[in-house]
Amino acid sequence: MSAMLLNKEKWPDFIGKLAGKELWAPQVDSNGLRFAPVAEGEVPSLDFSNTRVPPKEVVFPQTETLFRFKSGSEELKQPQPGKERVLLGVRPCDARSMKIIDKLFNWDEEDPYYLKRREQVTLVGLACTEPGLNCFCTSVNGGPASTEGLDLLMVDLGESYFLEQVTKKGGSLLEELKELLEEAGNDSQEQKESIAGEAANKIKRSIDTEGIPAGLPGLWEDPLWQRVSASCLGCGTCTYLCPTCHCFDIQDETEGQEARRCRMWDSCMFREYTLHASGHNPRSTRRERTRNRINHKYNYYVDKFDVIACVGCGRCINLCPVNIDIVDVLGQVKEALR
Amino acid sequence: MDLEKLRETAAEVVARDDVKYLIGWKKGTFGYRVMPGFVEDAESAAELIFSPLCTANLATYLTLVEKPPLPRGQEPDKRKVAIMVKGCDSRAVTQLLMEKGIERENVVIIGCHCPGMVDPALLAEKYPEAEEPAEIKWSDDGFVLVRNGEETNLSRDEVLAEKCKLCRYPNPVVSDITLGEPVEPWEPAEDTGVAEVEGKDVDNRWEYWQEQFANCLRCYSCRNVCPLCYCEDCILDRLNPTWVYRSVNFSENTAFNLARAFHLAARCIECGECERVCPANIPLGKLNRKLAREVREKYGYEPGTDPEAEPFQAGYKPDDPEDFIM
Repeated sequence: MSAMLLNKEKWPDFIGKLAGKELWAPQVDSNGLRFAPVAEGEVPSLDFSNTRVPPKEVVFPQTETLFRFKSGSEELKQPQPGKERVLLGVRPCDARSMKIIDKLFNWDEEDPYYLKRREQVTLVGLACTEPGLNCFCTSVNGGPASTEGLDLLMVDLGESYFLEQVTKKGGSLLEELKELLEEAGNDSQEQKESIAGEAANKIKRSIDTEGIPAGLPGLWEDPLWQRVSASCLGCGTCTYLCPTCHCFDIQDETEGQEARRCRMWDSCMFREYTLHASGHNPRSTRRERTRNRINHKYNYYVDKFDVIACVGCGRCINLCPVNIDIVDVLGQVKEALR
Repeated sequence: MDLEKLRETAAEVVARDDVKYLIGWKKGTFGYRVMPGFVEDAESAAELIFSPLCTANLATYLTLVEKPPLPRGQEPDKRKVAIMVKGCDSRAVTQLLMEKGIERENVVIIGCHCPGMVDPALLAEKYPEAEEPAEIKWSDDGFVLVRNGEETNLSRDEVLAEKCKLCRYPNPVVSDITLGEPVEPWEPAEDTGVAEVEGKDVDNRWEYWQEQFANCLRCYSCRNVCPLCYCEDCILDRLNPTWVYRSVNFSENTAFNLARAFHLAARCIECGECERVCPANIPLGKLNRKLAREVREKYGYEPGTDPEAEPFQAGYKPDDPEDFIM
């Protein structure tokens, strides 16, 4: 089974069939759109642009308890293992981001917490037909119908969804749902290709990344870092909402005689990030921290893992309180390299 | 406001020997964005703007300055910083002066009379943002949106920012140089946002804030953008002891948000920046405005309106009202 069609009328049945699994989809809460478990009997809508917080939070939660312990006891209690989850409506950029951070969590040490969650999740993607204003996935090897990182890709053909199997996991999901599906013919395949092409053409922002990873080390002391960081507030918006940012901190937190060891997202834009116990901070100003953010994504990660750690989702551009715009910053990098 | 005059004035200010740089507003990179501009010469002064999109309060940059250790023998740059302020922003500067967060001789204040700003998010809902940065102008009874050479009239009520609807100080309360024509203050609207929360019973009110704080990402953009959140050693960054745990959950998030609100009581000048920048859309303005109103109504005190006045917490009068204290 490689490509199938699902008539939109059967969408509620499709969801019904998945009822035995923990199903997550973008849902509107009081403050915006976010991935959340779908309540029983509810049918999620796929009419959305993208979530505010990327779905990386499902596999790499902002705070997670690693284990609990008690005063006077040597026992370490691990939390109950999570369940199999199906994420519905993952945008191709966000799926690619997971593939990218997999490399980090599989690097020198395997991270059992992340990898376990990753193994338990099935990503059902939804190709973009109306990219957002600041999307630039096509500049960083992605695309509105990219399948990288996904298990299954859905493309909206109007009256039906085109379902493309990407991995075995995606295939077995299709197998479970097969009585609702019909084989996709060549015409649907062509329609899918043309929709994907049109969507790519709608992307307005772009940056030619050629030469950036190799050029960044030479710009270490360039005045551009002072210029772009002057207005930076040093908040965590860009990093916390970035689907590829993966820095974390580990801390022990007590509750009376009990305590938990947990890890939580950290942000290289914070002033206490890399602050040494001595009081010295090797990145003591926002200039150095901004330089690090760009270098980490467009230089160090490329050097280490051969891929740019940015998927062009545009969240940092949309949500930066002071309009620090990564496409603009990269433009200034290119300018400085000329 | 005459932009030529603004740019000319800015160029003159930054040309002074005793001025380091000027902080103003520049055109953004797309849609309704405007970015803070750090001006050091006449060339960059020519990029400055003042439009109904200049909602941001730049006063936070006065205290956000980093002081990395200097190489041996190098003297710190003690020249003044010039800053462009609207009415509300000037209250932040005034409050900083009152608290001795900054010294008067270290700043050059360029006051801009402000007819009111648009809420960019509200505007984007009605007229989606485009790739090109849009231009917006004031008109006699509202605003004019200019996009692709096409002009759209917007009524004032339709897109005026909430903080501006409630504003009582459209003209700068402190300045060295003023630009534009003084604005006749308008009748502040009723604060329906606060009234709506006040109208709930205790349980529902708690539930309301629980829902809001549960979404907090602890990115601290509210703290960092706030011109009056400028402690060098913030309680939130402390690890030993850890006053507020890093865990992002309802309990810690509430501790953080309430601690911040209380630290701002009788200090918040209602510029609305916390709410504007929050990526989780938490209505922080309601919290801060409620406290500001309590202080105003109970003590007749308004922060940031008189640089010579005593900060609220530093003052005590034997006849201070206490009938609402249990």
